Amino acid sequence: MRDDLKVGVFLCECGGNISDTIDLDKVKEELDVDFIGQFENLCSLNGRKIIRDAIFDYDLDRVVVAACSPISHEKTFQDYVKPLNPYLMDMANIREQCSWVHDDSKKATNKAISLINASIEKVKQSDAVDPIYCQTPDEVAVIGGGIAGMNAALSLAKQGTKVTLIEQSPSIGGHMAKIGKVFSPVKIAEECGMCLLNPILNELVWNENIKVLTNTKVIEAERRAGTYNLILEKSPRYVDEDKCISCGKCAEVCEVEVPNDWNDNLSMRKAIYRPFGQSYPESYVIDMDNCTKCSNCVKVCSMKAIKLRGKSERIPLQVGSIVVATGHKLFDMEKRPEYGYTRYDDVITQSELGRITGVNGPTKGKLLKSNGEVPKRVVMIQCVGSRDEKPDGHKYCSKICCTVALKNANIIKHKYPDTDVLICYTDVRTPGMFEKYYKHTQENEVRFLRGRPGEVVRKGDNFIVRTEDTIKGEFVEIEADMVVLSTAMEPSKGTEEIAEILNVGTTEDGFIKESHPKIKPIATDVQGIFVCGTAHEPKDITDSIMQATAAASKVGEYNYGGVEIEPFIAEIDTERCIVCGECIAHCKYKSMSIHNDEIYIDPMSCTGCGKCLIGCEQRAIAINGNIDEKIKATIGGVLSKKQKGERMILVFLDNIGYTAADNIGVNRLSYPESIHIIKVISVNRVTPKHIRYALENGADGVFIGEFPGDLMYDEVERKIQGVKNRLIELDEDPERITFSKVYIPYFTGLARKLTEFDRRIAELDGK
Amino acid sequence: MSSQQKISDSPINFAEKIIEDVKNSKDEGVLKCVQCGMCTSICPAARHSDYNPRDIIERVLEGDESILADDNIWNCFYCYTCHSVCPVGNSVCEVNQILKQMAIENKIGYDKLYEYMGFADSYFNAAIGAIPEIFFKDIDRDVPGWWDFRLHLDEIRNELELDPPLMPSKETIDEVSKILTITGFKDKIEKIRASQEDYK
Repeated sequence: MRDDLKVGVFLCECGGNISDTIDLDKVKEELDVDFIGQFENLCSLNGRKIIRDAIFDYDLDRVVVAACSPISHEKTFQDYVKPLNPYLMDMANIREQCSWVHDDSKKATNKAISLINASIEKVKQSDAVDPIYCQTPDEVAVIGGGIAGMNAALSLAKQGTKVTLIEQSPSIGGHMAKIGKVFSPVKIAEECGMCLLNPILNELVWNENIKVLTNTKVIEAERRAGTYNLILEKSPRYVDEDKCISCGKCAEVCEVEVPNDWNDNLSMRKAIYRPFGQSYPESYVIDMDNCTKCSNCVKVCSMKAIKLRGKSERIPLQVGSIVVATGHKLFDMEKRPEYGYTRYDDVITQSELGRITGVNGPTKGKLLKSNGEVPKRVVMIQCVGSRDEKPDGHKYCSKICCTVALKNANIIKHKYPDTDVLICYTDVRTPGMFEKYYKHTQENEVRFLRGRPGEVVRKGDNFIVRTEDTIKGEFVEIEADMVVLSTAMEPSKGTEEIAEILNVGTTEDGFIKESHPKIKPIATDVQGIFVCGTAHEPKDITDSIMQATAAASKVGEYNYGGVEIEPFIAEIDTERCIVCGECIAHCKYKSMSIHNDEIYIDPMSCTGCGKCLIGCEQRAIAINGNIDEKIKATIGGVLSKKQKGERMILVFLDNIGYTAADNIGVNRLSYPESIHIIKVISVNRVTPKHIRYALENGADGVFIGEFPGDLMYDEVERKIQGVKNRLIELDEDPERITFSKVYIPYFTGLARKLTEFDRRIAELDGK
Repeated sequence: MSSQQKISDSPINFAEKIIEDVKNSKDEGVLKCVQCGMCTSICPAARHSDYNPRDIIERVLEGDESILADDNIWNCFYCYTCHSVCPVGNSVCEVNQILKQMAIENKIGYDKLYEYMGFADSYFNAAIGAIPEIFFKDIDRDVPGWWDFRLHLDEIRNELELDPPLMPSKETIDEVSKILTITGFKDKIEKIRASQEDYK
């Protein structure tokens, strides 16, 4: 029945890219189909009419487009074959994997014939299947209540989306709340950070679409069909937010004093406290690690808001997408003892200087040393922990420290014009408009020295900063009575934890990795999870807000546009399935779960690898779309065109390997004509049965490539070894099969490996 | 002062030669120098002389081979502090050793090496690297009480119930001398010595 299908083949010249190397007339002669035509540029809009007319005129059931790579134009031609089902069309890649990698016209033409024939045999086995559309729930979780998370939540809420904002500390606000003053490059002036933050905070609090959960962390996450099931853990506050009126009587009577972390431990607070004046929720909180349970606070609270007993609560939350805004922390100064931070009180960080100069800080805005005097000379040291290749440093530039130093230097100069401020820098990085602020800082008589100090030592009442003035080429010892270190930004602990819980990729530096650093800077490598703010990389407030609002827009695209998924995934025959759960244990992608007493397969994460088939004794699972037969037909289609004396090597690659192979062509490198690449949905779908079928029907070698980052990599490697062992038992040569790592950027390596494998096979055949 | 860079000049060749040297353990570290000066800020030689490790790399990157004849390169005594603090993973200390070797190959710096001949003698005479006598006066000046300590070392050891120091046997000394002769070390030493003593 499948043999009666009418197949049409459309050959694309690609404006000479194909037809200059491949003899298309010869191709037409060699193939036996119901329709075959040659066209200059099939992907042009004109191609739609050509293909559609031929489908009607010749009553075609199946279509093969022999042109460029399916990576380039599969979607185009799936659309052009309407009214045929999109999956009844297959592309033979005779450009990237033929005309662009081979020079010998005769051999290239023969290979093109084999590739097209493989597609013809494959489409005969294709079934009409429909892509799966997933509609995700439109609720969103924003994780992290700093300036990025707040803006993402607010933007989403204003567009009508329900948002849960999750913050692990007792108040939202993040680093910006404690930063003191901020500046923008356009306004040559510093302004109150809290005054800018507060309207955003208020707007957020009053927005009915936003639910704020403080003292709360995500502890578990599971994804199913675009829905994330999160488990949150909310730690007790011990003070009822709804009753507390923040009168502060409780703190007055509390006898426990501990360092105030919101003030970078530069002042003390009580065990019952409010993190800062404008904190939200507007309620006190008890730091139970330090509370002695004396109950003084309970007795004095007229609102009866305090309960010294409480348990953490687990809250389930179901959302369609997630915005990760878990922020950064600052470099640990214990790693740089040479600067004396842990030994000397007056060696501080820029963050601490921000607290000291903040009017709501430990000195109410006065710049004072630990002895209560105003410093005579403040030396700032840049790039502490940044731009530092030592094992415990960070190779990247933290991006904001130059401008932070300029800002704090200006703040000092405004209030204390007699205090000398010297910034020791390697490069002053003030791109764009920030350069104007740099000039403004110089006008304020802040001094600059180009040199990276090696150490800070105590000498009498002062410090000595040892550095080289690299412009003069002179070693200098600078006396200072306050030293400020511009510490690197690094991923917060929360950022590290959430990456693991959500299984999103991170960079070598531990930040959340975007799905493409150039053109997809907000999506992560997990569909439906987006990143913004300093969880992504070091950036300032403005950039954080821009990325946060962009993330809100990306969530909108995703939530309202739905997601289309290729249908070649596992399917359960519920008649046969006994819900033993064996498949769940086998699935490396965590796609399977039990839902309403049935096995549920998440179409978003299932790759169609077929690992679950092995565990299923009931044979209740199948991969949609007749995949096994299609692979077999493709193999048969290539090999049936093998000519006498021709060497034929079959290469099986999934989307990643296939893209790498295309890159060989795009970069006009070459490999032998014997190499025939077959694209599969998952390399694991190439079974021992397929490999044996190939070797028995004329394949001289089989090359299987897999990306080591694929969760099935080890499995496939083991399987191929099994096939090799079986060949040894049968007294055949296991060297005819090879398994290799493939990487998209390392296409030169793939070209070399293919060439080497061809040579090895030739040697086996004594050629 | 001004200088010219001709179109045919290739200043980077000098750095490349250093990178290829077997003593260089830092790959392309030299090329990544941003002249931050952290090495100079903690270099003991820089504090007490005109030696400037940052400047060494600057001149290497400029292709300034006249640095081989600069007396200052002999002031580095391999404390490796620059090596351990460099933010870009460079090692001026290693570069310095390579430069000195190049200088020696160009017959530069024999007078500097001549001061260390005492070390070479002790390899041959005792198969150990002993402090040459010509340095005793300087050490005693820099380390108060050192001479006294040295004179009474045996008694101090005795008091601490330590055995007398173990010295290599005659056979060992002969063997070491033989190795040093076969490997050409002896020839080199004689060449340096001859060059300086003739000169005098």
